[in-house]
Amino acid sequence: MTTDDSETVVRFENVGLRYGLGPEVLQDVTFFLAAGSFHFLVGDSGAGKSSLLKLIYLALKPSRGLISLFGRDIATTPRRELPAMRRRVGVVFQEFRLLNHLSAFDNVALPLRVAGVRKSDIQKHVVELLSWVGLKDHLDARPPTLSGGQQQRISIARAVISRPKLLLADEPTGNVDDRMAMRLLHLFEELNKLGTTVIIATHNSHLVKKLKFPKMHLDEGWMEIVGADTERASVPPASEPGPGGGLFDDGDDDGTRPDLEKLF
Amino acid sequence: MFARRSDLLLDKDALSRFLPWLIAFMVFLAILAMAGMLVLNATASRWDQGIRGTLTVQVMPAEDPAKDDERLQVVLSVLAQMPEIDRYEMLTDDRLLKLLEPWLGPAAGSRDLPLPRLVDVELKTNADLNAEVLSRQLAARVPGTSVDDHRIWLKRLVRLIQTVEGLATLVLAFIALATVGTVVFTTRTGLDIHREAIEVMHLIGAQDSYVAGQFASRAFALGLKGGVFGLLLAVPTLLGIGYLAQQMDSSLMPDITLGPVHWSALAGLPLVVSLIAMVTARITVMKTLSRML
Repeated sequence: MTTDDSETVVRFENVGLRYGLGPEVLQDVTFFLAAGSFHFLVGDSGAGKSSLLKLIYLALKPSRGLISLFGRDIATTPRRELPAMRRRVGVVFQEFRLLNHLSAFDNVALPLRVAGVRKSDIQKHVVELLSWVGLKDHLDARPPTLSGGQQQRISIARAVISRPKLLLADEPTGNVDDRMAMRLLHLFEELNKLGTTVIIATHNSHLVKKLKFPKMHLDEGWMEIVGADTERASVPPASEPGPGGGLFDDGDDDGTRPDLEKLF
Repeated sequence: MFARRSDLLLDKDALSRFLPWLIAFMVFLAILAMAGMLVLNATASRWDQGIRGTLTVQVMPAEDPAKDDERLQVVLSVLAQMPEIDRYEMLTDDRLLKLLEPWLGPAAGSRDLPLPRLVDVELKTNADLNAEVLSRQLAARVPGTSVDDHRIWLKRLVRLIQTVEGLATLVLAFIALATVGTVVFTTRTGLDIHREAIEVMHLIGAQDSYVAGQFASRAFALGLKGGVFGLLLAVPTLLGIGYLAQQMDSSLMPDITLGPVHWSALAGLPLVVSLIAMVTARITVMKTLSRML
């Protein structure tokens, strides 16, 4: 495994994780993800997928081993610098974690507000993105009044609104129909083409089989990267097919691809 | 009111409704304590300035009233020879009767009542005159003469006032501590209530100061709201006390009116309490969040 730190977005070296005094849920996990790569994170329930994502989005500290993000060792990075790193990571939580007292608009606007983006820019981008995910008519709706699928789309919009360098999605298509699932995956793919590194944790074997991206396979705390022709799976430019074929080779480019330059 | 836009649902907390009331009562008590302190301070200062360096010589009436004037003249001649004395003045009968009136009532006006003669003595600045020595000297020449050194009882009075002032300061300090404690408690509870939302904000890259700013801004707004209410309760109370004091005989009561400076200081108290609440909330949140990754 060769690495170039300047291109490595995530690096794990012999990472172990245990909760309290329990057994290790992740054991000796070692991998690196190059900038612009696209991976599926697969494994049975309880295999440690969510724990692995939590380590990457800095919600947990590893019990042992080294994690570096964007070339910086997390253990030695001063705490005050972590928020800036987190802003480069977009997360779609499995349970959405939307703020129920805020409107759909405000939920999606939150990462921009936190980053100090101007109000006028927030207005423009959030409305456009929510329109694209089909929630134009629900800008002022509170999450509890929306369906699971609609909440999931808000969660995805919140994760991508600041155009993160790394996008982590935990079961992002679990609550939407096939058409919307494809539409959301288009969004992830377009983001990936613009340079965002993407990890999607999913149980959807159909999706994983259809899209020939590398898989990070977790089994009882152990991980291996399989699939595609290389461990470092970068997605080719938009004009070229992806590794083993692009997402939309089956001719389903039915206008559901977002124009990200316009969206962001 | 006053709070900036919040990403947390702080407005709807039960605690948000409870904090202004607590702060209102604390500000009410603080204003009363502070007003008492200011009045005592001003009174002590006025008494101190008015009485410092003064003595009163009392010449008791003789058995033979015809000798009273002669005795008085002897006393005045002794006083006139003393270099430490700046000036002296005999109190007129009318003034004396007026001073006695609150204690003796209209009977004080009776000319039949044998009254002592009083001489107000003003010492030179920094004069080192021993009142006891003067008293012995005068008594030797005119038996039944005594010297009342105001400095002795003034010292006791000032000590008493200073003790009460100290207590009032202690009360203010306790109120400030109680305010800080209340804000810490409500802020920590608020952090627990909004833990999920705070965690999400944290994970999407919010600085601790961003979250703390929302709590601090809310605490300031609630503090000011409660503080202004406390002030509105305290002002009529103080005016009422002032009115009742005015109804009493002025010669028995010191002047306890508050000046414009005092009122300004009292009016500023809600702002001070709001700032304490704001800073406390900010520090509490920053400390709590610093334990997160």
